[in-house]
Amino acid sequence: MKRYLLIALFAASAAQAQTNPYTDNATAIDQGRGLFNSTCTSCHGPNGTAGEFGPGLAIPGRTYARRTDTQIFDAIKHGIPGTPMPAHQGKLTDDQIWKITAYVHGLRGTAIDAPSPGDLAAGEAVFWGKGSCGSCHMVNGRGSIVGPDLSQLASLRKTNSIIDALTQTQHRVYGPGGAQPHLLTPLPVWPAVRVTTADGKTIRGVLRNEDSFSLQIMGLDQQLHLYDRSKVKIVYEPESLMPTDYDKRLSKQEFDNLLAYLTRLGTPLTPPSPSVKMPGGRDD
Amino acid sequence: MRLSIALVPSLLLGLSPAWAQVPDPLKGDPKDWLTYSGQYNSHRHSDLKQITAANVSRLQAKWVYHMTGQKDLEATPIVAGGVMYVSQYNRIDALDARTGNIIWQYQRQPIASGAQRGTGFWNNKLYVTTSDKHLLALDARNGSVLWDVAVHDGVQLAGQAPLIVRGKLIVSGNRPHGFIQAYDADTGKYLWSWSPIPAADDARLASWGGQKPDGMPIWVSGSYDPELNLIYYGTGQPEPQWAGEGRKGDNLYSDSIVALNPDTGQLKWWYQNTPHDTHDYDSLEMPVLVDAMWQGKPRKLLLQANRNGFYYILDRTDGEFLQATQFVKKVDWLKGWDAKGHAIPDPAHDPSVKGTTTCPSTAGATNWPSPTYDPKLHLFYFVAQEGCGINVRDTARNYAGTGYLESPDEGKSWQLFTRALDAFTGKKVWDYEQVTSHHYGPGLMSVAGGVVFSPEEFGQFTALDSKTGKVLWHFNTGDVITASPISYSVDGKQYVTIISSSNVFSFGLPDGGAK
Repeated sequence: MKRYLLIALFAASAAQAQTNPYTDNATAIDQGRGLFNSTCTSCHGPNGTAGEFGPGLAIPGRTYARRTDTQIFDAIKHGIPGTPMPAHQGKLTDDQIWKITAYVHGLRGTAIDAPSPGDLAAGEAVFWGKGSCGSCHMVNGRGSIVGPDLSQLASLRKTNSIIDALTQTQHRVYGPGGAQPHLLTPLPVWPAVRVTTADGKTIRGVLRNEDSFSLQIMGLDQQLHLYDRSKVKIVYEPESLMPTDYDKRLSKQEFDNLLAYLTRLGTPLTPPSPSVKMPGGRDD
Repeated sequence: MRLSIALVPSLLLGLSPAWAQVPDPLKGDPKDWLTYSGQYNSHRHSDLKQITAANVSRLQAKWVYHMTGQKDLEATPIVAGGVMYVSQYNRIDALDARTGNIIWQYQRQPIASGAQRGTGFWNNKLYVTTSDKHLLALDARNGSVLWDVAVHDGVQLAGQAPLIVRGKLIVSGNRPHGFIQAYDADTGKYLWSWSPIPAADDARLASWGGQKPDGMPIWVSGSYDPELNLIYYGTGQPEPQWAGEGRKGDNLYSDSIVALNPDTGQLKWWYQNTPHDTHDYDSLEMPVLVDAMWQGKPRKLLLQANRNGFYYILDRTDGEFLQATQFVKKVDWLKGWDAKGHAIPDPAHDPSVKGTTTCPSTAGATNWPSPTYDPKLHLFYFVAQEGCGINVRDTARNYAGTGYLESPDEGKSWQLFTRALDAFTGKKVWDYEQVTSHHYGPGLMSVAGGVVFSPEEFGQFTALDSKTGKVLWHFNTGDVITASPISYSVDGKQYVTIISSSNVFSFGLPDGGAK
């Protein structure tokens, strides 16, 4: 009797923690995106942004009550009691719900976890050609040093964040509120600045660091400029040097292809590995 | 019996007992820095006059000490008789305050990290808060353990520095809800507890609308008035933090300044800064005690720049509300005030599932980093944050969780300032913008020579003219600063010290250069 009970318990726990058959399946994730966009966006908004009635599913800094695929699957299938989130049982098949789950899971990661569909080669051609992205950015050693290197873009940013960067004048990526970056790192943003020196020379570029006393600027001339704050006049330009009208200057197809290229730049991030002790003794 | 035997030899030799010569926070010799705030009144102001506005530009690093295995230290060091004590949970390092050379180290296992903000000195003892819910006293001379007790009720003490008054060691904590406890500083014997949760027979229990009172963490040290024999502490926000609908009412004694008798733990008075808080406006900013003529009348004042955006002046004998002045550009969490200085919160700014913009942000118009007060200039200096935030809750149900974000408008992102107010009117006198500081890091300290030391989040240690806020000197410490500066002197030489992440920096004037 006890033995049967044990088996029953195992069976129950197996049902509770199912694995998603579509994890890392790009085709299924893309189908999930289609299902999400036709079913969920009226409340949750497209691409993980916040919607009219429900929270955004991919907002930086947000923490999630439901973390596993099984929990996301359950929320879609049975709804969330006490909230406006309805049950979709009967409206969607389990197979469809798993695909949406895979897509939602991808939204919580970065772009590379749910890359955008399109023609990659055509997108790369737009990047170096009509889009002139390479006049500021570098990818795998090719391009300019003024803007951020995009070689790992899709491993670092979410898709909606990349779309915002291409189309919104305000597209700063916000971290979790209140969290202190307990590190001195280079600036994670590239604010546009214009500096006038005592001899009347003006340099335009992006701020790479500053404090109350000094400035470090990468000029549009691709030269690093180091200044004392008290000796120059500095103007912080309100808008980024990055054009934000790519949805207008490119056709829809060109934009989609560019996005397909950008959302595949990089390699999935691996967890930090333990530090390495190099062979050999001390050099003294 | 044993005590009298121990005293005999010194009495025979005509010496007073050793404890009579021990540095005493009540006497407040400026050579030492014996408590978290330097003095019981929490002025965090040094009376030493060697380092001045005229010579601070020549300040130079005298030594650096690295706290092995640590980072992001928040501790205010203690200095007694030329020895500096730097603390972390489970640990104290004792250093020669002239050279930075280590004299002894106490490390209880395991090595711990966390927001531990300092130890306290009393009767040649130092106190260690442990990660396993113990409290212990070390002999300040060699680091030996003198007593070790389990914390009463089996609770974990928070990281605030202990306050030691009249031989009572006052400590506090956050969980399962806020509390203050007292122990005999010489023996470790438990004495009393106080909790901001109203007792069953306290009429203020009704201020929770029937919901069980919760939260109100106490994680910053307090101030002490020896004449009134009262300790002053702030209390934190009520729980659930973002959902106020179940706890209708003021939710006492959350977000309040409380005055307790240190002998009994009895509540003498309270003033609630933020009634029915849904924004996490903890009242844990240091209460500063000042005796002054205020509007033509001698008063015992309590000054506090509060996280909710107001600078408060209270009478600390009875908690009477005298004045509140808005000190940041935008404050919108309240609708107004009643005649007794009771704020009326605006429910339109309660957190929502979509997110509600509120000013100041949840990080606060100021926060725990310490203010300082110059008793000669009557200026109150503190770190102010300009900016609003968005409060978000994950469901519309009571007990909803989640958090907050910075302002969505890049043009209005958070910005920290070192700000000087006229202490008695609350009017701004000067501002120093801490370029690139957007999150709270360090606190402040002023010296009688007319300098405010203002460390910045990303490593700059900056000296400002107390009167004007003009920069007089700065030094890049090379790491994130989350501690507050102190000043002390040894052999007639004044030092200023700041901890930057894991490194303790001590500065002084060039040898022979003091004027």
